Amino acid sequence: MKPPPFAYAAPRSVADATALLRASDGDAKLLAGGQSLLPLLAMRLARPSLLVDLGRIADLDYVREDDGMIAIGAMTTKTAVERSALIRTRQPLLHDATRLIGHPQIRNRGTVGGSMAQADPAAEYPAVAVALGATLRLAGERGERSVDAAAFFPSPFTTALEPSEILTEIRVPMRAAGSGWSVLEIARRHGDFALAGAVVMLGIESGRIASARIVLFGVAPVPVRVSAGEAALLGESPGRPAFEHAAACARDAVSEPLSDPHASAAYRCHLAGVLVGRGLAEAAARAEGSS
Amino acid sequence: MTGGIPKTIADLPTSKARYIGERVPRVEDQMLVSGRAEFIDNATLPGMLHGAILRSPFAHARIVRIDTSRARALPGVFAVVTGEDARATTAPLGTIPDGWGVHCLAVDKARFVGEPVAAVAATSRALAEDALEQIDVEYEPLPAVVDAFEALKPGAPLLLEEKGSNVVLHKQFRWGDVDAAFRDADRVVREKLRWNRLGANPMETFGVIAQWDPSEATLTCRGSYQTQGYMALGISAVLQIPAHKVRVISHPHGGSFGGKGGMRGTCIAAMLSRQADGRPVKWIEDRMEYLVGGAGQAWDRHYEAALALRSDGRFTGLHVTLLDDLGGTPEGAGAISAAKPLASFTGCYTIPVAAYDLTLVLTNKLPTGPYRGMGPPPHNWVLEHLVDTAARELGIDPGEIRRRNFIAKDRFPYEIATGNEYDSGDYEAALDRVLEMSDYRRLREEQAQARAEGRLVGIGLVSTIEPGVFDWNAYAIVGVPMTGVPEGATVSIDLFGKIVVKVGFSLEGQGQYTVAAQLLADYFGVELGDVRVVAQDSLSAPPHFGPGGSRLGVALTGAVLGAAERVKAKLVRAAAHLLQADPGVVVLRDGRLEVPGVPGAEMTVAQVAAVMLTRSDLLPPDLEPSPEATCVWTAPGRTPADADGRAKSYLTAANACHIVRVEIDAETGQVTIDGYWIADDCGVRLNPANVEGMIQGGVAQGVGAALLEEYVYDADGQPLTSTFADYLLPTISDVPIPETAAIVTPSPFTPLGAKGVGEGAMHTTPAAVLCAINDALAPLGVQATETPASPHRLWKLLESARSHAKSNR
Repeated sequence: MKPPPFAYAAPRSVADATALLRASDGDAKLLAGGQSLLPLLAMRLARPSLLVDLGRIADLDYVREDDGMIAIGAMTTKTAVERSALIRTRQPLLHDATRLIGHPQIRNRGTVGGSMAQADPAAEYPAVAVALGATLRLAGERGERSVDAAAFFPSPFTTALEPSEILTEIRVPMRAAGSGWSVLEIARRHGDFALAGAVVMLGIESGRIASARIVLFGVAPVPVRVSAGEAALLGESPGRPAFEHAAACARDAVSEPLSDPHASAAYRCHLAGVLVGRGLAEAAARAEGSS
Repeated sequence: MTGGIPKTIADLPTSKARYIGERVPRVEDQMLVSGRAEFIDNATLPGMLHGAILRSPFAHARIVRIDTSRARALPGVFAVVTGEDARATTAPLGTIPDGWGVHCLAVDKARFVGEPVAAVAATSRALAEDALEQIDVEYEPLPAVVDAFEALKPGAPLLLEEKGSNVVLHKQFRWGDVDAAFRDADRVVREKLRWNRLGANPMETFGVIAQWDPSEATLTCRGSYQTQGYMALGISAVLQIPAHKVRVISHPHGGSFGGKGGMRGTCIAAMLSRQADGRPVKWIEDRMEYLVGGAGQAWDRHYEAALALRSDGRFTGLHVTLLDDLGGTPEGAGAISAAKPLASFTGCYTIPVAAYDLTLVLTNKLPTGPYRGMGPPPHNWVLEHLVDTAARELGIDPGEIRRRNFIAKDRFPYEIATGNEYDSGDYEAALDRVLEMSDYRRLREEQAQARAEGRLVGIGLVSTIEPGVFDWNAYAIVGVPMTGVPEGATVSIDLFGKIVVKVGFSLEGQGQYTVAAQLLADYFGVELGDVRVVAQDSLSAPPHFGPGGSRLGVALTGAVLGAAERVKAKLVRAAAHLLQADPGVVVLRDGRLEVPGVPGAEMTVAQVAAVMLTRSDLLPPDLEPSPEATCVWTAPGRTPADADGRAKSYLTAANACHIVRVEIDAETGQVTIDGYWIADDCGVRLNPANVEGMIQGGVAQGVGAALLEEYVYDADGQPLTSTFADYLLPTISDVPIPETAAIVTPSPFTPLGAKGVGEGAMHTTPAAVLCAINDALAPLGVQATETPASPHRLWKLLESARSHAKSNR
């Protein structure tokens, strides 16, 4: 459990980091909080020739309001997100999801950008980003660009990042008035990766569902948007019949369900349905409570 | 020797015991919480190298060729060993039963994923691991047999071809006329039950620093050894060094629960040190090595069991068939775990006859080792499951059916069908207490209400025996020939009256140093801090075994008090001489040697000890000038086993009655434990806080067994649970804190009346939680018959119940 030899660099700027990435010709790894990468190194499953530590780059660690959005620096720890009053009050879904991630020790080290870039199928943040319609800002040698979360997670453990690009910021919209949210997951133990999870957002106007967003995690290689369930909810009055129909859509939404010793594909799909049903009820209660 | 050892706390030479029996803070904790205890990975020796082990990636494969030349050529690499070196310089590992051993490094073929194939010693662990990548091994994969039933079939791949079979042992035991009991029974309940492989997971894995001394041809092994003397014998046999030339030094270690193992790792490190001309070689097992290739997996069992009973609910016979999958070899005491249930085969009940059909089989998985409880926990689940099934079929409350079958408190000592003798007990008292604590009647009312609402609420009530003070004779049926387990202690008093007690084991977490200090402080009338416990290595300590088998608290009490009695006898002779009194009238009391009724005729222990050590001119000429003595204790009255394994084996029988309340989420299969009550009787509690810790820790491991822990292998024998992300230990969020009560029926056989409780609730909790789950499921007509009761498994049961209900509509 000792890593193979590697070179180590701790650049002071994003530009220096991207230059190092480019020079390494795809053989470097970025080190953020290290909660996934360090075990992979120790098990010799990752064998980069160069480790580029982002921890010394100033100004990648912030949570602030910017142009009507919440902007989160990529090196912001999950604990900082959890403790941010801005996030707790203006986008409580992100606050709640953060509390489901691992344990305090993990949240103290793990970063928002690290989770997004790792793109673990069982992780909460990618699904939350997709559900919220977050934007990810990437910096590369040719400058900066923005990618919608919906396009950022093409396949498991893979992102839209080019080999020499670095994720610098995640931009999240604020919760709309009259909307409710829920993030629920089933894990073998508190803090474990989810066997199945569901992020739900509901907007209710005049007693009818005006907007709906349902995203599953832990059940498939990438976050799964339950578009059929979302569409079916629109215009319905919030309640059990509509929610049960959406839950059924969730069970059918996963084309390539994951399977492992803890949970078969069929069980995961079943759980997705249960969680969507429960999540919709919770989100509806919150929407009604807030309007 | 038990002659003069006090049988009760009141017999100690003190007006009032200040420490023993009290909730004394542990003397070990200062060094543990300050980080000063020298765990093996903190130790460094001059010139030390670091070892790493290359392990088989195949469950079964011929080793065609190993080329180590590139590894040897790396700067900083000082030794490389393979199976060829093991064949040339070592004997096969010992096994139980005897004669199934393989070498510590695979010779010719590998039998499980993780089996050591080669090893390297280098100047750092990282470099040693780099060197492993430079070793080329050509494997020829062989078909693997992973399922125990498949391994029994003719034509199955053979683990040891020369044996012609994978069956290590197949025996049928009949204790009494079992056929008649089943023939004449009013009712027989049967069940097939599957206990999946799980095991010990101490915080610290195994680690060793082995140092070969080429000048004297001796070996010193420092490590996290649970049982140093026993290990020294094994190392001596494997490395073919006389035992007196092997010194094993047990360092303080971070728990064991049976999982420390270390035989292969020690022998490999020793081989590396020998090749490196005697430089010390440290090898620390990492967690993946522990989970895949360590000594911590246990109890991979297929049961088929039946209980015969009368219509009034009285049990008349028990028949247990066990197919126990030992994995790759019987090197790890898996067989002992199949034998130990004989010590409490019929539980708390008067079941007059019993049968055991036992088959031990090898498969291409990690060899199983010991785990806390050493075998009875699965057996207890099987028995308690049958009892619950019987209660359900007869419409008798689970508490009531147990009460009707309990061994009554006036029938002790009580010999069970399998030959062991229970020392004492009051099982009804424990049951009554836990019924009262839990407000059982109210629990059942709430359950009825929950069921009416469609909720799956269950109550588990089980009552079990924890055999304590293990004896080798309990394992006669798998070929262990010994009776008695000597445990020694040497007590010395210095010229200031301070006390040192030397023992043959190191810190492991159970608090035995505290028990020794409590005993001696009260015995000689000193403060707790005036007693120091010092661990001796395997060559320096008196005969010893160390912790294991819920034994050390009682055995240590015997050894320490026995030694104290002998010291006292010397002090009395010296004091009598000095006080010009007859030795027969001098007594030790509250730290003074005195002649009762003679004012002023008294000396302190310190004064007498100081005279003994500094003024031989004042002593009787035939008195040794040494306020020091050794006592080696073993359980009295143990008998060698007969041909059917009947023996007076484990000296004590502790009893526990648990009630658990669970709720199963009917949609997801998730289990929540929302109530837990325990009444426990381990006789006199030498330190109640220690006992409570033992029980709480057992609850944690029991919850893991019932709900979470399972080593999973795929059909090719690849382990799928090689990290803690997949092998799920209970965390603080998963473990209930039970409400507990003590019942005390002193043991008539032990010093001070204490009973072994080191395995604690591990004997009871798995059965209690699983019985609660099945109580919750009972209205649906399905039962959980496989461990752990994971949400996925329970969901499948719930689905089958739902589809069954639909098709019956």
